[in-house]
Parts: sequence; structure tokens; C-alpha cells
Amino acid sequence: MNLGKGKLYGPLFALSFICAGGLLSTAALADTEATFVLPSSQAGATSLDPIRSSLVTLADGLIYDRLVDQDANQTFHPHLATRWETTADGMSWTFHLREGVTFHDGEPFNAQTIAWWIPKFAGTENAFLVSAIDKVEVVDDHTVHFVMKHPDTNLLYNLSSGFMGVPSPKAYDAEGTDYGVKVAVGTGPYKLESIAIGSEAVLVRNPDYTWGGPLSANKGPAKIDKLTLREIADSSTAFLEFKTGGVDLVIDVPSDILAQYKTLDNATIKSQSGFGIYYMPINTTVEPFTDLKVRKATALAINQKEIVDRLFGGKGRAAHNFLIASLPESKVDPTLNISYDPAQAKALLDEAGWKMGSDGIRVKNGKALSVTLVTQSDTEFKRLTEVIQAQLKAVGINAKISVFDSSSIRAEYKKGTQQLAVRSYGWNNADILDWFFSAERLGYPNVSMWKDAKAEALRTKALTGSKTQEERAANFLAYHEYVLSQYPFAPIYEPEQSMVFDKERLVLPAKIDGPQFTAQTVLDISIKE
Amino acid sequence: MTSYFIRRLLAMIPVFFVVSGVVFLIVHMVPGDPVDNMMSVGASANQRAEIIARYGLDRSLIEQYLTWLNNIVHGDLGTAIVMRRPVADLIMSNLGHSLALGGWALMFSAVAGLLAGTIAASFQDRWIDHGLMGVSLLGSTVPTFWLGLLMIMLFAVELGWVPVSGARSWTSLILPVITVGLGGMALVARVTRISMVEIAREDFVMLLHAKGLSRWTIQLRHILRHALIPVVTILSLRIGLIVGGSVTVEYVFARPGLGSLLIRALAQRDYPLIQGCLLFLAIAVMLGTLLGDLLQAAMDPRQREDSAQ
Repeated sequence: MNLGKGKLYGPLFALSFICAGGLLSTAALADTEATFVLPSSQAGATSLDPIRSSLVTLADGLIYDRLVDQDANQTFHPHLATRWETTADGMSWTFHLREGVTFHDGEPFNAQTIAWWIPKFAGTENAFLVSAIDKVEVVDDHTVHFVMKHPDTNLLYNLSSGFMGVPSPKAYDAEGTDYGVKVAVGTGPYKLESIAIGSEAVLVRNPDYTWGGPLSANKGPAKIDKLTLREIADSSTAFLEFKTGGVDLVIDVPSDILAQYKTLDNATIKSQSGFGIYYMPINTTVEPFTDLKVRKATALAINQKEIVDRLFGGKGRAAHNFLIASLPESKVDPTLNISYDPAQAKALLDEAGWKMGSDGIRVKNGKALSVTLVTQSDTEFKRLTEVIQAQLKAVGINAKISVFDSSSIRAEYKKGTQQLAVRSYGWNNADILDWFFSAERLGYPNVSMWKDAKAEALRTKALTGSKTQEERAANFLAYHEYVLSQYPFAPIYEPEQSMVFDKERLVLPAKIDGPQFTAQTVLDISIKE
Repeated sequence: MTSYFIRRLLAMIPVFFVVSGVVFLIVHMVPGDPVDNMMSVGASANQRAEIIARYGLDRSLIEQYLTWLNNIVHGDLGTAIVMRRPVADLIMSNLGHSLALGGWALMFSAVAGLLAGTIAASFQDRWIDHGLMGVSLLGSTVPTFWLGLLMIMLFAVELGWVPVSGARSWTSLILPVITVGLGGMALVARVTRISMVEIAREDFVMLLHAKGLSRWTIQLRHILRHALIPVVTILSLRIGLIVGGSVTVEYVFARPGLGSLLIRALAQRDYPLIQGCLLFLAIAVMLGTLLGDLLQAAMDPRQREDSAQ
């Protein structure tokens, strides 16, 4: 058809107006999107099945809700459970469940869900989370009763763990062992759209969500329609993605790259208090560390402040005992806290018979004070260990560094021949004391090879002899104080958790209310208009 | 040709068994085990023993090896201990990415290397020859990790032509392919150049010149064909690298792949997964060399005659 030129213009203009109008309206309805970078500790998750997985990520935290949530002070708040009671002997718990909660597939969340859920852990590697529960009784649609085999003062902590997000029974049973690979159904503020293992997970908002917990200001549906959670192993690549606008928020930023982010105008850095401790276990069964004075001297030789200022740019804080500062069990008797005191260290070594030699190394009975210092092959560990080697030299201890990769080092620890080591852990519960100092786990995790009858008595009392949480905290405090008095380790550093977000795209709540960056914070994040 | 092919395939079987034995031994001899990588704080003291019993890690090495081999022959690669998914699933989900990156990188290094080598040989000892050889040398000696970051900073950040990282679209494949391909290009370019220079001295080339053919026809239609033979040998050896050899590039560009999977499995001592990945890589290398030999036999009649005798 041969339209004259002039006759073509009219329809063309009309068409372009219609298109423009169409584009404008779709722009107004366009989904709000954001991309977050997961921390490296959450990389490599192979499925979104919290019951069977060995690793849970923020994706699990957003797809599933938990009965209980934890805040930044490590205290517990109701979420899917509105309140709970326990008997004085701790042998029975009653949980009252929130009403009106549904799974993404429309199934209702009620007491039957819990009765199905707890037994599902049997036979999995996560079974220890519910091992104290003997059976679950359904009282009514929204009340469950746990009959316990023995008191479990850690029950609320376990219930708030990412492994105890509640999946939909119908979807879980339908998918079988493939659950969590393509399908993951929970009650959370986000639904799973797609997941590329090892690369990214794409989540879409759950529009029916109205049961946000007390730790989120926003109780209703999330403000971001589509959330992509990416795994980027290299921190430089994550930085470049942030710079080009490819990602909007990086959850865990190592301290050495923070300076780079500060050069960007749109980057805002937010910090949370620490989630772990760097420390130096001292092998109590090997000479010269069988002598308490030598152990104490070694611990007092570590200049924590210098390490914080020089190695970590002043970020984080010096550690003076074995627990993170936000835990109540870290508030030990101040005289027991371990701090830098080179004068006392030197005096103690002199008392123990180690006299300063001419080359700056102490000598006793013709033997020089030469010890092995074992560490992991990651850069930050190597640098830290070199600084510690220098600090030990300053009081006359000659430390020789050996480096191993993270799996070989455990085999090495089990031989029990190491003298000193530099390690770290990431955990926000006092039972880490049991994990690392229990005489039942000599070698690894008990790198200090510490076996002490009084310690064992205090430990068992704290772990299994407490009936209430208050009792547990008091018993762990007592155990912690005894551990400190025997110097099986030297505390070094408590790193703070830093995250970076694009302030021109996102608005974050003033305080991140959780032990780490968790789902309850994501619910309050909105896109800037 | 077919009998040659079948004979070579059958010869792979004993090699396969030897490789599986070596892989199994090495993995189990290295200190460390997967159990500690799986236990989290709060696990009971006897959970170690339970996990060891469940995965049969307390049985003798011979017994474990034979069980594993038996399963392999029946097509079951087992289940990863730490990652808790079937090994075959894990490999399959990562294989596509590795094949894409490795395949395109191989093609890039082949094409770019042949081009560079031909041009260098044609302008031998002039500045373009030295320039091309210098660039290809840089490409192979500069660490891929560093090269990758540099390419991101230039093409993705400054110029904004391609995405920085990830595996979402085909555009995110461009920079990783060039980074890996530049590394493989050097050898191909040098071998092409040297073999073209050598073949140019042969008597038949002098005859072609005497016949009056143009210089470029001789270079491309006659000499290049002969020069391709050693190049095919080199490329066939690199085929095995396609599948597992780009670990640092996968790390920098945040791409999933078999290389990263293997490294993570190694760090966690996830025995079934390491064994499965290594076996896979070994088969890839064996098939790659077989393919190269077949191509050579197809291209070079002298090879076929030799093997037929």
C-alpha cells in the first residue's frame, strides 16, 4: 500500500504518543528491584532446605519465618510464636502460635505444621537442634506443647536459628529429597522465583505477608518487589559491581576494602557489633605451656590495641575474653579480663625460670623458649600471626610460624603437638565455650588440649544442669571466669560487621536489629523515591 | 579410521581404572576430613562417630574404593557429604557454565592465535611480528586473576560496555572468554608462526612459487593447512582444561563452574564430590586427546597410513 509521505506522519505521531504513554504508565507500575551481595560465609549453599542443609543463607531467612527471632542484644522476641511458657523444671514448653499465617502455596500454618515439622529433623545432621524434644502435642489449632527428654535452656536460641525456618509440609513432602533445589515454600516475606546454585537467588515479594515480627517496623509486605541475592566471592569484584550500580548493598565487607568504598559518593557504611573473636589457643599439655605462669605471660604479651589500630584500621575492638561483648556471659569480673601488660608478662616469665638470653630469647636449663605458632593460609591470618610473632618476641618468646589450609590444620590440631595457634570463630552463644574447651573434644575443636576436672564440672553444669535461661547464663559466666583464670588461650580481636549500601537507591532503618544482617532488617528497607 | 577410533576408545578403559585409583588414593591421603566441615556448634560429642559411620568413612580404604567404583560402573556418582546433594546434580548444574566459558575461550585462542601466528609468519621479523608475539606473550604470562580485574575496570567500569560479573546473559561471557583466551593464544600463535616459517622452506612451496601462485594464496591455502597439524595437537591437549581450568577467572567474575566447585570441595574435603569432579576432568582430558588424534588422522593421511600398518 502506497501511503503518501504526509499521510504517514499523522498515524506515526499518534503511534508514538500511544507508545510513550504506554511506557510512562508501565514505568509507574514498574517493580522496585534491588540486588544484594551475600556474605562470603554464606557462599556455596546447594539448596534451600533448612532441615537438611549444612548451610543457610539470607535467602532461607527471607523465604521462611521462624517461631522466635533474635535481636542485636541476643535476646529473643516472638514471631510465628506469639508467646511461650515453660515449667520450672524445664521439662515442658507451651508455644502459642500466631493466627492467620499462610504458606506461599496457600496452606495454613498451625499446630499441625509444628507437629509435622519437629520429627522431620530426625536422622539429619541438624537433629541435635531438637534432640531434647521428646514429643510434640497439639493442644489446639494454635497451641503446641513440647514434652522434653531433659531441660533445654538453649531451645529459644535454636528456634531462632536459620535452620529452623518452617517449610510448608505439603510442598516439602511432595518434592522429597529434591525440595529446596527448585521449589522452596515458606511463610516468609519473599517467595522463591528462581535459583542458580552458586550464582544468585531471585526472590519476589509475598503480597499476602502481614505478620512481620516486632523487630521490623514494617509488619506488612516487603517494600522491595524483586530481590536478587548474588554470591560474589571476590571483594574487589563486589566493589566494582557496586561502583557501576550493578549491586545496591554488600552485606559483609572485609576491613581492607572499606577504604575503597569511602571514595564513592553514594556509598554509606553501616556497622554492627561483632559476631566472633580472634584468639590464640595455648596447648596446655606441651612444655613450656604446662606452667600456668608461662601461659599467663604469653596471653599478656598480646597488644590488642596495636592490632586493632594498625591491622584493622581502628575498626572493631580489642577482645579481652572469649565471648563477644553483646552476650551477657561476657560480663565477667573485670580483674579476669586479659589485657596487654608486657611488664607483668616479663616478670612472670622470670618467675617461671625463663631468663632473658643475650639474643633476646629467654633460656631455661639451656633450652631456648622457642615455640611453634600455627595458622591458616588466609591472608588476614598470616598478617595477624606475623604481628603476634613480633609481639611475642618483644617479651622474649621466639615463635616459628607454620601455615596450613583450613582442613589440613584440623588434622594437625588433632595430633596435639602444636604449641600456639591463631584462630577465629563466629558464634553468638556462650556454648562456644563448651565447643572449644570441652575435654570430650581434645585436639579439635579443643585446640588447647585442656582437660581440667573443675572446668569439666562447671561446663557440664552450665550446658545440661541449668533449668532456666537465667541459670544457664549465670553458670556459663562462672565457667567463663574459671576458663579465663587458667589461661588456655589469649584473646585478640573482635571484628565488627560492616556493610555498604547505595544511599541514592536504598533507605535503611537507623539500627540493624539482629545479631547479623537478617530478614527482619530487609523488611524495613525501601527504595528511595 | 573406525577401527582406529574403536581401538583408542577401548584403550581408555584401563586408563580410566588407573586414574580412578590414583584420584581416590590422593584424596584420602591428604590430611583433614569432611566431618569437621559439617559439624556446627552444639552438635553432640558422638555426632562425629555417627557421621563417620553413616558415610562409611571408618571402613578400610580398599573397601571404600571398591564400593565407590562399583557405584560408578552402575552410573551412581554418590552424594556429596558436606554439600548433601547428589554429585551428578552438582556437576551437571555447573558443567554448562564451564563448557560455555571454556569452549568459547578455546575457540577464541584458536582463532586469534592462528590469525596472529599467520600474520606474524607472513611479516616475519618486521615490527608487526615482534609486536604480535610480544602481546601474546604478555597475555600468557600475566596472571589471569589480575588480567581479569584489569579488563573489568576498563571495559565494564570505565567504558560500561559489558556487565562486571555474573552469569546472567551472554554479554557477561565476553570478558571472561577474552581473559582466558588471551592466555591460550600465545602458544597457538607461536607454534603457528614457527611451523609456517619452517614449512615455507619446503621444496613444494618453492614449486608453488615457481608455478606463479600469489604469495597470499600460498600462505593461506597451502602452508596454513600443514601448519594446522601441530596446532591441533596443542588445542586437543587444552580441551581438558576447558572443563576445569578457569578457576581464578570464575572467582574474579563471580561465575559458577566446575573449577570453583572442585576448589570448594577440596577445601571441605568432600570426598565423593572431589572424586566425581576429578574423574570427570580426567575423562574430559582423555576424550580431548582422543578427539585431537582423530582430527589429526582426518587431516593428515600420513597418520592414517602409519596406524594402518
